[in-house]
Amino acid sequence: MKKIATAAQLIAEKPFYLEQAEELHIAKTAYHNGLPILLKGPTGCGKTRFMHRLAWELTRPLITVSCHDDLSTSDLIGRFLIKGGEAVWMDGPLTKAVRTGAICYLDEIVEARKDTTVVIHPLADDRRELPIEKLGETLTAPPEFMLAISYNPGYQSVLKDLKQSTRQRFVSFEFNYPPPELEARIVREESGIEQPLAEKLVRLATMTRSLKDSGLQEGASTRLLIHAGKLIKSGIQPRTACKATITETLTDDHEMLAALEEITSSLF
Amino acid sequence: MPDAALDEIFRQIAAIWPVSHALCNSFLKAVKKGLTCLHHSQLADWVKTILAAYESGGLHQTRQLLERVEETFLCTIRGETGISLAEVTGRLQPYATGLAGHPLELIPGQEVYTDTAAVYLPPGIAVFPKQTDNFLLYKLIISFQWAFTAIGTFSLHLPAGSPAIPAATRRQRTALPPACTGLNDYCNLFAKPAVAAHLFHLGETARATVFLREKLPGLMRESGPIFQALARTIPRGAEGSTGDLQRTILLRAAEDTGETPSAPHPVTSLFNGLFRENATSQDSACFATKAYARFLDLTGEPAPPIIFQGVLRPAEVLAVQRKKRAAAKEQFIEALTAVINAQTPRNAPGEKEKGEVQGTGFPDLEGQTAAVIPPEGAGKDTQGTKPQGEKTLEFITIDDSHIDLPDKLKKLAREIVEDLGQIPSQYLSSAKQAAGKGLAQGNAPAPREGEPLAGADLFIFDEWDYRRAGFRKNWCSLAVKKIIPVAGTFVGNTLKRYRGHLTRLKRQFEMMRNQERFVRRQKDGDEIDLDALIETLADIKAGLSPSEDLYIRLARDKRNISALFLVDMSSSTEGWVNTALKEALILMCEALEVLGDTYGIYGFSGMRRTRSELFRIKDLGEPYDDAVKGRIAAIAPQEYTRMGPPIRHLTRLLAESEARIKLLITLSDGKPEDYDDYKGEYAIEDTRHALIEAKAQGVHPFCITIDKQAHAYLPHMYGEVNYICIDEVGKLPNRIPEIYRGLTS
Repeated sequence: MKKIATAAQLIAEKPFYLEQAEELHIAKTAYHNGLPILLKGPTGCGKTRFMHRLAWELTRPLITVSCHDDLSTSDLIGRFLIKGGEAVWMDGPLTKAVRTGAICYLDEIVEARKDTTVVIHPLADDRRELPIEKLGETLTAPPEFMLAISYNPGYQSVLKDLKQSTRQRFVSFEFNYPPPELEARIVREESGIEQPLAEKLVRLATMTRSLKDSGLQEGASTRLLIHAGKLIKSGIQPRTACKATITETLTDDHEMLAALEEITSSLF
Repeated sequence: MPDAALDEIFRQIAAIWPVSHALCNSFLKAVKKGLTCLHHSQLADWVKTILAAYESGGLHQTRQLLERVEETFLCTIRGETGISLAEVTGRLQPYATGLAGHPLELIPGQEVYTDTAAVYLPPGIAVFPKQTDNFLLYKLIISFQWAFTAIGTFSLHLPAGSPAIPAATRRQRTALPPACTGLNDYCNLFAKPAVAAHLFHLGETARATVFLREKLPGLMRESGPIFQALARTIPRGAEGSTGDLQRTILLRAAEDTGETPSAPHPVTSLFNGLFRENATSQDSACFATKAYARFLDLTGEPAPPIIFQGVLRPAEVLAVQRKKRAAAKEQFIEALTAVINAQTPRNAPGEKEKGEVQGTGFPDLEGQTAAVIPPEGAGKDTQGTKPQGEKTLEFITIDDSHIDLPDKLKKLAREIVEDLGQIPSQYLSSAKQAAGKGLAQGNAPAPREGEPLAGADLFIFDEWDYRRAGFRKNWCSLAVKKIIPVAGTFVGNTLKRYRGHLTRLKRQFEMMRNQERFVRRQKDGDEIDLDALIETLADIKAGLSPSEDLYIRLARDKRNISALFLVDMSSSTEGWVNTALKEALILMCEALEVLGDTYGIYGFSGMRRTRSELFRIKDLGEPYDDAVKGRIAAIAPQEYTRMGPPIRHLTRLLAESEARIKLLITLSDGKPEDYDDYKGEYAIEDTRHALIEAKAQGVHPFCITIDKQAHAYLPHMYGEVNYICIDEVGKLPNRIPEIYRGLTS
């Protein structure tokens, strides 16, 4: 059996999340109106963290499915298994979420096969239904259930695009790297480093982001900054930490690596 | 002289004599001295270098080599030549761009300076014996030159009565300019502007040092020894002399406070005051004004600048600013015109005759001045929490009617306000005028009668007119033409030049072809699909009808992609761009042949709506043979860039193909533009509409461009993620196949 990355739990502790616009408020309003949400934005800018915070604020369990290109419909909905000579139905993560009234978060939805993406359609419009073919049953989602999907529009592949028929069912949020002061605060809070160091890390990230057209595919994400901050906090030299978490992570190109090294060595 | 050496000399004469007799004479004169530091076995290499220099630059070039053997020849062998800019540009260019946040070009030049858009650096640095130190010096130059822009050296602004304005001037001239703006004006207040500029620059360097210590502490720490070494090279001068001040800067930079005279001269203490974090360029100017007199007293020549300090070139900065300003003005007027057009009702939306009274749609325009609502007023109530200093410009009023600005225009307006302090009313009136007559001017001459509009290879297309939100019916004609292949060495040379890269490319593309994957739940196959089997067993137990698809098969995915490349053949691609494009196409073809996608290549150009031209280089599915190679080699710049018709034509071609994924990749170097009214907003909107039509037909448009302004209009035309801007023409051949790979995997 394929293992699917799922996790269903009530989030016990308040996850740290700094609101940029009114996204939490809007998402909660969408929830109360039974509308599904779509999060888009570059990697590591806080989409998953946002979902955690939302689940915490709504006190609903969060079931996260990381999509991959082999994800089949039964992986989402469920299948019969044999246990002790008996055929037993096992709910998939999506079915489980609908039954228990949880929040189901399909991360990187464009990675999933197109035929798989379609099963969420009836669930994502006003029907809020999940037909389970094998059981001959149609589940109607309770008001507590919420569907959320995410994708990164920055991938320039024609094969990885979200179809209009899918995307037009969602309330959409655009995520981006937070403004410098906010980002520095996030890095500080998350990694526990001092403010000036956090500001320097953010400055480094801003510099890498402005290199996006000069050879880098993406600039450093907030997540990478937090990683760097954590290593520094644990006693690793800033330059070494940045090399390990940011420079080497961003690119394999030797010239670009050298250039990023120059930037880091100037800053720290 | 030992015999062995003499033999060697005679042997070398045999090599030099046939090349040049004069050179041989010079060689004989120099060889004795040369042999004082060269071993005779090195003579052959020395002569080889001399001959190479002679062949590239004549006798003159060889003089240095002959006379200064130690520095020019021996050091090279020992690896002590320092480094050249060319070697390090790859590392430093992204560094500079990263610092500035926008492309900051590195250009080799005689003097170190910046014009805010580029930094000019020496082509080579050999100040220190160690390469790492020379490299660091390059880094310092870039950082300091960037710092001058960042701390506002070039935006010096002196209010009237500022102590920085020399007292003599205040007395002499009765009509003093109300405020002294600009570096140039300031320097011209003095009898010797160069000296004033020099002193001011010293002050600014002091400020830059403080600035960099704060922003780039790592760099400054690492450069400590360099600063100290540089300080040692400055000869001791009188206190307060420019050399002395330079030493102060270097020692401060090295965080070595050094010996301070117990009772410093007032000028020196004024200078020391500049090493504060909150010092401004006006403080530097004050210092320069005070130091000016003392400098003349000392009657010294200004010391040559510290290498990273370079010189100030206010005139060039001004030129760049003017250029930027002009571009901003043009963009602003263009954008505002569009907004006015969109918000004002029009009398005659469609075809207006040329020469009609301009501004008929705006009876109240004449005579009234446009006014700008100051940004504070607009921003206050809604943006109360914004940090101070950030001005927001929400709307502009023209003739008492509010015009709300779209985001793009707002950004532009903010930039202009930052630059000039306000939006000059001339900008607004120009936009008004342009809006008034935009439609009147906007038409191409009517097609001449009797012009052939039908033919085997002639196609007629509609064109989108955004002003009327509708098509101009049968507006353009597109002729599909053949390119006559040329035989030549271009293709062979390209393949040779990129041999290594091509091998890698082919391997990468081969890997894409063999997208092997296991397909589950097949009726037959190599292995049993356990998941499916268990499910079927379970289904049987559960009383459902079991599935028969129980096998796994290894499938090779057939790529089902058709791609068309549309190459801009406008006159602007003349030269290097054209070559790079052609090289890129050759590499692309070689790689695609391995991959097996169907692809075609077309070039386009033309002039006026009646003569758009599409050049067939390779049809979809046509084999990649010598004729195609010859046609690629024959691609040459033609005329203008009317993008709508070719895009519409290729969309039609792609729509007929049965591939699952259809790609239309445009290789371009700038905005769409034709000789007639096809420019600016109109051209962009038509192209955008043609692309929307393409998308509706299931075609994915994508654009690869080398236009640095691309971010201003391509997102609008192609969509945020459907374009790539390549900042360097030379990278085109390598990048295009890579982009294609990313696009289709």
